[in-house]
Amino acid sequence: MIRNVVYVVILLTICSKRSLLADDFFTKQVAPILAKHCLSCHGRDAPKGGFSVQKSDAFFAVGHVEPNDAASSYLIELITPVDGRAEMPKDADPLTEAEIAVVAKWINDGAEWPLGFELTVAKVDDFNWWSYQPLRRPQAPESNEAWAQSPIDKFVLAKLKEKGLTCSPPADRRALIRRVTYDLLGLPPTPAEVVAFENDPDPLAYERLVDQLLESKRYGEHWARHWLDVAKYADSCGYDKDKLRPNAWPYRDYVIRSLNEDKPYARFVQEQIAGDVLFPDDPDGIVALGFIAAGPWDFIGHVEVSEAKLDGKVARNLDRDDMVSGAMNTFCSLTVQCARCHNHKFDPITQEHYYGLQAVFAAVDRADRNFDADPVVAKQRRELKEMLEELLVARTAIESGIVEAGGKPLADANTTIVELEKLLQPTRPPEHGYHSQIEAKPEIEKWVEVELPAEVTAERIVLHACSDDFNGIGDGFGFPRRFKLEIANDLGEWRVIKDATGDDFPNPKIGALSINLTKEKVRRVRVTATRLAKRMNDYIFALSELEIYVSGNNLAEGATVRSLDSIEAPNTWSRANLVDGKWPRAMDTDGEQLLVEAMRNRDQILADVITSEIAKRRSAMGKAIAQIESELEALPQPQTVYAAATAFSSEGNFHPTNGKPRNVNVLVRGEVSQPGETAVPGVLPLFGESQYQFGNDLAESERRTRLAEWLTDREHPLVWRSIVNRVWQYHFGAGIVATPNDFGRMGAEPTHPELLDWLALEFRDNGQSLKTLHRIIVLSNTYQQSSDDTAANSAIDAGNQFLWRATRRRLSAEELRDSILVVSGAMNWEMGGPGYYLFELEKTEHSPHFEYHKFDPTDKASHRRSIYRFIARSQPNPYMTTLDCADSSQSTPRRNETLTSLQALALLNNQFNLVMAEQFARRLEKGSSDLSSQVKEAMLLVTQRAASDSETKEMADYARTHGLPNLCRLLFNLSEFVFVD
Amino acid sequence: MFNRREFLNHCGAGFGALALAAMLQEESRGATDGAIKVLHHPPKAKRVVQLFMAGAASHIDLWDHKPLLEKFHGQPSDFGEHVEAFQDGLGPWMKSPFKFSPYGQCGKMLSEVVAPLGECIDDIAFIHNMVGKTGVHSQATYLQATGFQRPGFPGMGSWVSYGLGSMNDNLPTFVVLPDHRGFASNGPKNWGSAFLPASSQGTTIFPQRENPIEDLRPQSKFITPSSDREGLSLLNQMNQRYAQEHPGDSRLEARIRSYELAAAMQLSAPEALDISGESEATMKMYGLGRPGVTYPDEINPAEEAEYFGRKCLIARRLLERGVRFVQIWSGNDNSFPRRNWDSHENLAREHGPLAQGMAVGSAALINDLKQRGLLDDTIVLWTTEFGRMPSSQGGTGRDHNPYVFTNWMCGGGIRGGISHGASDEWGYKPLDRGNPTQVYDIHATILHQLGIDHTRLTVRHDGIDRRLTDVHGHVIKEIV
Repeated sequence: MIRNVVYVVILLTICSKRSLLADDFFTKQVAPILAKHCLSCHGRDAPKGGFSVQKSDAFFAVGHVEPNDAASSYLIELITPVDGRAEMPKDADPLTEAEIAVVAKWINDGAEWPLGFELTVAKVDDFNWWSYQPLRRPQAPESNEAWAQSPIDKFVLAKLKEKGLTCSPPADRRALIRRVTYDLLGLPPTPAEVVAFENDPDPLAYERLVDQLLESKRYGEHWARHWLDVAKYADSCGYDKDKLRPNAWPYRDYVIRSLNEDKPYARFVQEQIAGDVLFPDDPDGIVALGFIAAGPWDFIGHVEVSEAKLDGKVARNLDRDDMVSGAMNTFCSLTVQCARCHNHKFDPITQEHYYGLQAVFAAVDRADRNFDADPVVAKQRRELKEMLEELLVARTAIESGIVEAGGKPLADANTTIVELEKLLQPTRPPEHGYHSQIEAKPEIEKWVEVELPAEVTAERIVLHACSDDFNGIGDGFGFPRRFKLEIANDLGEWRVIKDATGDDFPNPKIGALSINLTKEKVRRVRVTATRLAKRMNDYIFALSELEIYVSGNNLAEGATVRSLDSIEAPNTWSRANLVDGKWPRAMDTDGEQLLVEAMRNRDQILADVITSEIAKRRSAMGKAIAQIESELEALPQPQTVYAAATAFSSEGNFHPTNGKPRNVNVLVRGEVSQPGETAVPGVLPLFGESQYQFGNDLAESERRTRLAEWLTDREHPLVWRSIVNRVWQYHFGAGIVATPNDFGRMGAEPTHPELLDWLALEFRDNGQSLKTLHRIIVLSNTYQQSSDDTAANSAIDAGNQFLWRATRRRLSAEELRDSILVVSGAMNWEMGGPGYYLFELEKTEHSPHFEYHKFDPTDKASHRRSIYRFIARSQPNPYMTTLDCADSSQSTPRRNETLTSLQALALLNNQFNLVMAEQFARRLEKGSSDLSSQVKEAMLLVTQRAASDSETKEMADYARTHGLPNLCRLLFNLSEFVFVD
Repeated sequence: MFNRREFLNHCGAGFGALALAAMLQEESRGATDGAIKVLHHPPKAKRVVQLFMAGAASHIDLWDHKPLLEKFHGQPSDFGEHVEAFQDGLGPWMKSPFKFSPYGQCGKMLSEVVAPLGECIDDIAFIHNMVGKTGVHSQATYLQATGFQRPGFPGMGSWVSYGLGSMNDNLPTFVVLPDHRGFASNGPKNWGSAFLPASSQGTTIFPQRENPIEDLRPQSKFITPSSDREGLSLLNQMNQRYAQEHPGDSRLEARIRSYELAAAMQLSAPEALDISGESEATMKMYGLGRPGVTYPDEINPAEEAEYFGRKCLIARRLLERGVRFVQIWSGNDNSFPRRNWDSHENLAREHGPLAQGMAVGSAALINDLKQRGLLDDTIVLWTTEFGRMPSSQGGTGRDHNPYVFTNWMCGGGIRGGISHGASDEWGYKPLDRGNPTQVYDIHATILHQLGIDHTRLTVRHDGIDRRLTDVHGHVIKEIV
C-alpha cells in the first residue's frame, strides 16, 4: 500500500516531551496498523459493531481497550489468532505477532491518543509510476549500424547491446511472407503469392506486399478478433438461461469495418463510449455502443428480480462494474475494478473514483436499439422526429386551449369517459392458464382434463381461451384449431359433447365457448386438441379456464387438473391455472351503452367550444402530423443492434431509465446493503485533482461524452501507450508492457519505455492510423529477423524479451480453423451478418442448449471465417476452446498458448478436420491426377514450402495405401502448419 | 495426461514462472507436477469428488432435521424480520414431507429419502451453517463452483489440477460428469479453466456417447485402424524432422509428446469407462442391477438411482486410475418437466426421487472407496448452490434460501460422524449469525487437506493475484 494513512491534525496542542514521543509512537506505528486492518469496516458513518477506530472518543467509548492493561483489553483478545484464525479482522489474514505487540505496547503505555488526531483512509494520490507520467518524445539512440534503419531498430539495438545480445539475420522470404500474412490477415499466403514474392527483384517488394496486405478486407476480420477478445464480445448473454443476442453482430461488423477503413483511433474510442451523442447522424455512433454492451448480462438478476431487492441491486452493480472495467481496461489499461470493494491497493484509484465511473454509466443498460445503416436515412429520421416533436407540442397547445375553453363541464365529461373506459377494459390476469409442451407440427393430440371431487349433474361447460402477447398473438392464444370435448361419469363412461375435429374451429378469442348439457352426470371433463394452435414456428394447446356449472355455480374451481403434458411455468402457466377462476374477460354491454352516451355529451360540449378557426388549425395540424408520421413510416425499416441503451421495451423487472441516471452510491466494502455517499460522476484525476468530477446534475449523454473526451485527450498518459502496446504485442508475441490490460503497479514495467513513448506519440500525432503503425512495425528490421535460435543469446534472454529474434508462435484457434478452410478450398469469403451456428440449437424457449456434437460440419453456411461464428457464452465451442480461444466472459488481452493432448485429439479427430480433409483431397484431385503432384501441391498449400523428394515420396506412399484424405488429415497436424516461424 | 511441457506457455504472462528446464526434467516421471513444487504441508488427501445438486437441494428435507416445523406446520410463518424471498416463498411453515430417523453411532437424524447414506454416516461431517450471497441460481452456482459469483473464474477442480498437476499420464486430471439431461445453470463455465492453462479445464465425459470424450476417436469412413496407426507414425516423423531443423524450441518436442499422450488416452479412456467387468454385487450396490429395464415418464427413484449411480461408479473407476478431481452433477437446467432440485411447486415430487437416487449412488461410492482403501485419501464433497425456505410458497414447494444451507464432506482426513455449525431452529439462518461457514471455508479446507495453503495458490491475472478463495477463507479446523 502506498501512503495508506494521513493524519489530520485538527487541533494543534502543546504537548510535553514525553507525550510527544508517545504521540509519535501512535501516529507512526499504531495508527498505520489500525488503518490497514480495521478502518475500512470500523470507520466512517456506520462502523461495524458500533466500534470505530477513526477518532479517540468513538474508539474508547465501547470499552474495548483498558489503558495500561493490554491483557484485559478485549481488542487484544479479538485480534489475537488461535490456530491461525482471529476474530478480527473478519475475512482477512490476522495481524502479525509484531503488529499485535505494537498495539499491546501502546495500550500498556497508557493508550494515549494524540489530541485531535483522526485516522482517515488516505486519498491514494501517488502518481509516481511510469504509466502516469506525461508522454515525452524520446530521441532514438544514435547508431551507425546498417541494421538500425528505423527508430524502432535503433531503440531495440541499443537495448540488445546493453544486454549483451546480438540481432538475428533476416528471415528468408518464404518465412517472412508467411509471418506477415498471418500477422496482418490471420491467414496463410497462397503458393502463388509466395512464389511471386520470392522471385520479386524489386528492393521495395516487401513494402509493396505489406501495403497490399493492409488493403485487404481480411485485415479487419483478423484484427477485429483481437479487439473483440478484449471487449468480451459474444452472441449470448451468459449466466443462467444464456439468452441469445441475435442483434450483437452489427457491433462485430462495425469493428471489422472501422479497422478496414483505418478510422482514426480517437474517433474509434469516442464512438464506442458516446457515439450516439457525438455523431448523431452517423449510424456507427449507435452501433459502436455495442462495446459497452458486449460483456455478459444476468437475465434473471435483471428481468426476474426487481431493482428494489438486494439481488437486483447486486446484479445491476456487477453490470455497471462490467461496463466500467470494460472501458478502463480496454482504453486505459487500468484495473479500476479493484476499487469496487476498497480503495485500489496499489494504484491511485479510490472507491470514490471507481463509483464516479459507475455513475457515468448509471443510466445505460444493455438492450436492443434501432439504428439506420444509411446515414442519409438516419439524418432524415432524426429531422422528421424533431419536426414531429415540434408539431406535437403545437397540437398540445391547441388541445389545452380547447380544454381550457371547455371548463368544468368538459373536464367532467372527460372524467366520466375515462372512468367508464377503465371499467370496460377487458381484464387479462397474469395467470394465463394451462399450456401444453411445444411441438414442431400441429397434428399431435394433446389433452387436459378436470376431475371434480364427486359426480355432479351439470348444466353447462364453459371454455375460455388464453391471452398472451407472445409473438403478438394476444387473445385466443393457444386455442386449438380442432378439438373435442368429452365428459365422463363416475363409471368412467366417456361421451363426446362437442366434436370440432372435422373442421378448423373459429377461435373464440376473448369470448367464451359455452356448451349446454341436458342434466348430464359429470365427474371428469376432458378437452382433446387434435390440431394444435400455431405459436411461432411451433404448435401448442393452451386454455385459460374450464368451468362446470351446476345450478348456476361453477364447481370446477380448485378441482384436480391432469394433462398429457404441461410446461408448468408458474405463475403464468400451470395446470392449476385452468381452474383458478381467472381468465381474460371482455367488457359488459350495459357499460358500453353508457359510454356511447357520455361521448355524445362530450361532443356536444366540444361543438360549442371549437370555433371554425380552431377547427381549421386543428385539422391542418393533424394533417401535418399525419404527413410526417407517414414519411417516418415510409423510411426503410431500421436495423437493430444490441448496445448500450436508455430506451427500450420493458421486460419483467427490466425497465429503461429513459436517460434518468440511477443513483449510484459509494458502497462500503462493495456491499449493496451498505451504501455510503452518493457517487459523483467523473474520471480519474490523472491531470491533477481539479476537474475530474463532472457533477451530479450532468445529463446521461453528457456524462459519457465527457468520459469519451477524457479518454481521447491528447495528453492522456495511458490511452496512446495502451493501444500501441496492444498492436506491438500481436506482432511480437509480447507487449513492450507484458500486461496489456494493466499498466498499474501490479502490471509489468515496459522493457523499452522510450520506444513505447516514441510509438505512442508517432501514432497520436500522425493521424492515429493503426495501419500506419503496423507498417512502421513490420517494416522494421526487428520484425524481419529470423526466428532461429542462437545459443549465446538464449543463454542471456531465453524468453526473447529484448527481441534478438522473431518469436515463433502457434496459430490461434481462429487462424487454425480459417487456414484449414482456406487450404481445403472450402472458404466462403462472405463478410458480415448474423453469426453462423456451429451447433444444433435446442430448447430455446427456456435455456438454449448448444449441441455441438450434433452439428454437421459439411454445412456450407459454416465455412466462413471464424470471426463470424455465433459465440455462445455459457457453452463455448469445445474445439475452439481446446485451441485456447478466448473466454468471452473475461477480457482477454492475450491468448494462452498451450499444447495439450486434447488439442492433439481435436486436430486429429474433430469432425470438422475430417470433413475438411476430404474436401482438401477433392481439391487436390481436381488440380491434378498425378499423386506426386497432388502431394507437392498439398505441402505448398499447408506450409508454403516445397516438399523435398524424400518427403514427397513418403507422403505419396502413404496416400497410395490409405487414400489422399488420410494424408490431408495428417497435414493439418503438422507442427510446421501449426507454428509460424 | 497433461505433461507440463504441454501447457508450456512460452509467453503467457501468468505462467512465465513455469521454467522450461523444470518441465523437461519431469519428462522421465510417470505423471506431472502442477504449479506447486513442494506442498505447503503434509497432505491428508490426493483426490476429490464433488457432488453438485443443481437447482438448490433442501437442507431441511434431507440432512437438517427441524422438529419445530412439524409442530408449527401450516401456521403462518414469522421470521421476526423482513425476508427477501426470491419468489413468493413466505407461505406457512411447512414440515418436511419425509420422515427422519437416527442413524449410526452418532445418531444423526436423516431423512428417509437419503437413508442409504445412513450406512456411511459415521464417516460424514455435516456443515449446517453454510451461507451464500445470492438467491439467483446462476450467480450462486458460480459462487459454489468457482468461488466467485460471476463468470470468468476457474472451477475448484481447475485450481486443484493447476496446483497439483496430474497423477496419471493417460486420462484427464479433472473430469466432469454432467447430468446427461442437460447442463446445470452456467453450463461448462462452472468447470472452465478461465485464465488458468487450458490443460486444467474440466473434461466432460458423456459415457453414453459414442465419443465419451470429445474427439477421442475419429468417426469417418476413410479412416481405418491401419491408416490411423501408420499416419500417426508418418506425422511423428515429419514433426520430429521439423523439431530437429528448428532447435532450441522445446515446444516442438512437447507437441510430439502430446500426440503420444493422446494415443495413450485413446486406449485408457474406454477401458476406464467400461463397467461391463464390474461384479453383479457392485452393479447392484450402485443401483445398476436391472439392465434393460424401462422407466415411466414420471420422475422415479429407480431411474434416478441408475443415472446417478452410473456416474458414481465411473467416478470410482476414474479415481482408481489416477484422475484427481471428479465432479458429478445431479439436475439439469430449468426445463420441463423439472429434473432438478429447484422444487418451487412440489418438493416431494422431485426431491424424493432425486434424493433417493443420489443417496444410492453416493453411499455406494463412499462404501466402495472405503473397501478399496481409497476413502482415506479421497475427499467426497456434497454441495448445492443454496438451500430452501422452511416456509412453503403457498403449496407444497419451497422457495430459495441463500441464508443457510448444508454441505457435507467425507474421507480424505475429514472427521466423520459430526455436524459442524448449526442452523437456527427453523433452518432459516445460521444459529450463530456472526460465524457462518462460507464456500471460501469449504474450498480452503479442501485445499488444506490436499496439502495446499489456500492463500498461497495464486495466479496473477489482470493485475490481481487471483485465488480460489479470493481474499477470504478459513480452514474449518473442527472437521479435520
